[in-house]
Amino acid sequence: MDYNGAALVAMVGKECVAIASDTRLGVQFQTVSTKFQKIFQMGKRLMLGLAGLATDVQTMKERIDFRLKLYTLRENREIKPKAFMNLVSSMLYEKRLQTTFYTSFALFLLFSRFGPYFINPVIAGLDNEGKPFISTADLIGCSTESTSFVVSGTCSENLYGMCESLWEPDLVPFKLFFTAGIVEVVSNVHV
Amino acid sequence: MLFSEKTRTLDSILNADPVDSLFSDLLPTANNNLARHNFEVAPVKEATSFVKKWNNSCHENLKIKFNHGTTTLGFIYQGGVIVAVDSRATAGSYIASQTVKKVIEINPYLLGTMAGGAADCSFWERQLALQCRLHELRNKDRISVAAASKVLANMVYSYKGMGLSMGTMLAGWDKRGPGLYYVDNDGTRLKGKLFSVGSGSTYAYGVLDAEYDNELHDEAARELGRRAIYHAAHRDAMSGGFVSVYHVKEDGWEFVSRTDVAELHSIYKTDQFLPVS
Amino acid sequence: MDCLIGIKFNDFAIVAADMTNAHSIIVMKTDENKLYKLSNKLAMAISGEQGDTIQFAEYIAKNVQLYKMRNNYELSPKEASHFTRRILADNLRTRTPYHVNLLLAGYDNQDGPQLYYMDYLASVASVDYAAHGYGGYFSLSIMDRHYLPTMTREQGYDLLKKCVKEVHKRLIVNLPNFKVQVVDKDGVHDMPTITIDSLKNE
Repeated sequence: MDYNGAALVAMVGKECVAIASDTRLGVQFQTVSTKFQKIFQMGKRLMLGLAGLATDVQTMKERIDFRLKLYTLRENREIKPKAFMNLVSSMLYEKRLQTTFYTSFALFLLFSRFGPYFINPVIAGLDNEGKPFISTADLIGCSTESTSFVVSGTCSENLYGMCESLWEPDLVPFKLFFTAGIVEVVSNVHV
Repeated sequence: MLFSEKTRTLDSILNADPVDSLFSDLLPTANNNLARHNFEVAPVKEATSFVKKWNNSCHENLKIKFNHGTTTLGFIYQGGVIVAVDSRATAGSYIASQTVKKVIEINPYLLGTMAGGAADCSFWERQLALQCRLHELRNKDRISVAAASKVLANMVYSYKGMGLSMGTMLAGWDKRGPGLYYVDNDGTRLKGKLFSVGSGSTYAYGVLDAEYDNELHDEAARELGRRAIYHAAHRDAMSGGFVSVYHVKEDGWEFVSRTDVAELHSIYKTDQFLPVS
Repeated sequence: MDCLIGIKFNDFAIVAADMTNAHSIIVMKTDENKLYKLSNKLAMAISGEQGDTIQFAEYIAKNVQLYKMRNNYELSPKEASHFTRRILADNLRTRTPYHVNLLLAGYDNQDGPQLYYMDYLASVASVDYAAHGYGGYFSLSIMDRHYLPTMTREQGYDLLKKCVKEVHKRLIVNLPNFKVQVVDKDGVHDMPTITIDSLKNE
């Protein structure tokens, strides 16, 4: 989880949501790229952020894209944020079983790459009525909704601290944008 | 014979294993196409880790003994390829044999050397001999050293991570002239003019690198190979016995000599006191 | 222990790979080729686990060629990088993952030169310059300091030499030779190999 590094935050404002991430791709302490995408637009009013192991970020982005296209084709409408969260969550849980299949813990360690996708997704969007929705999940798909802010990534403690002190209910888009931005920048200094 | 009661073939284990069947569609196509043999393996879920357990140092008395200590070398020069090896087999600190044949005569134009697991080397090089013969029958032409070494490398690569242990050199002569390849159990295949493999290889390299010259005449080249193995056998406790030297020429290989290391020691020892001209 | 370096400029990309093959403490070879030509305007530098590197590189190279034969046109560098990543990622979660790190340098007729960084976990990033292995700890900062996208082929080669010089000077591992290739609108070209002697003669 700490291998490539990431900092993700999403916030609820007045009739709006914000999501922010860093763009660093590192290999432990070595920075490889500073243009690595971790936030993806999944719908008109739906954003997905993926923090964690970079390879799984990319693999999951492709797999989610695929499942989302099937969904939109079958339903002939855009997905709702809540349904999208359930989709992501169930895709992550699929891999849960494969981790317990091993006969011993030593075997699991030996082939630990079989396990779940090592990512923490963050979802931010507006539903059909324009109501804000943000949520996050752990690596095997246990999802949590929030009405204030969610954080994810290597320095989530710092992000929590900044959010607790800066966030307030019903921020207008302009202020929300800067709040999320400041949270990112201040928390990120040592990533 | 250890598991004769409930032996299963490797393939049936690979297919029946629940972990495997889950991922069978994920197995790399690149690896799947390689030829597999039907081996009898331990009747356990994970044969790989099972073998590892018995090789673990904490089960000293139960360890499967491998022939690890060896010195082998091969080099190409103006007059062909020289292959030289020692003949000691060790199991831990016990000398199991002083008369092992570590050069495998694959066919009249191809030699293989043996380092690592004796059984692995002899089995896979015999398997290679089979493939080489089939190539001859199919194509009415001898297999090149390059192709033969790739066949061997691909065979052992398909068993990567399953506990094979071999470091081998293939020496021969084909249309491209003398050929020398290094192939080992992790699938490495290197073309080169000079290689040494085994626990004594560093000592052999020391002698070899200092005195090697492409323009060596035949007797000097054979002597260099012999001397390099002798020095390795002297310094490395796991190498010793006899020094065998082979010479590969355009018309196939020729067995040159087999000399007791002790005999060489008495010769070279006095030699050291001779004034250097 | 291997070292791969790649740099992308406005109208060409350059890749370099060391030529050393070592087993534990022994150098087995100092003239190994770790650069593979995948198609007319695409080169790959590869390092990693012995055995895996060659098997993987040849598998990718042959499949890129197969694609060309089937479809009558070549994969673009971006498409090839996606294909390579896919193979690597699919195999990552099997019992036989490929342990390889690579750089893909190519020239796209629309988008110009491309450079992709890919590690053994199949994380991919499009970058201006990148390095794999311990050499990266020395060369990345050199490229940060001296890199300009407008550099000519000679200037690019000189930048590469700066990196190799530093690797020779500071890295404890012996990597005497570096094979260099340039990819531009005309295809993949060999550049003179960087050796200790060639650096000495300046």
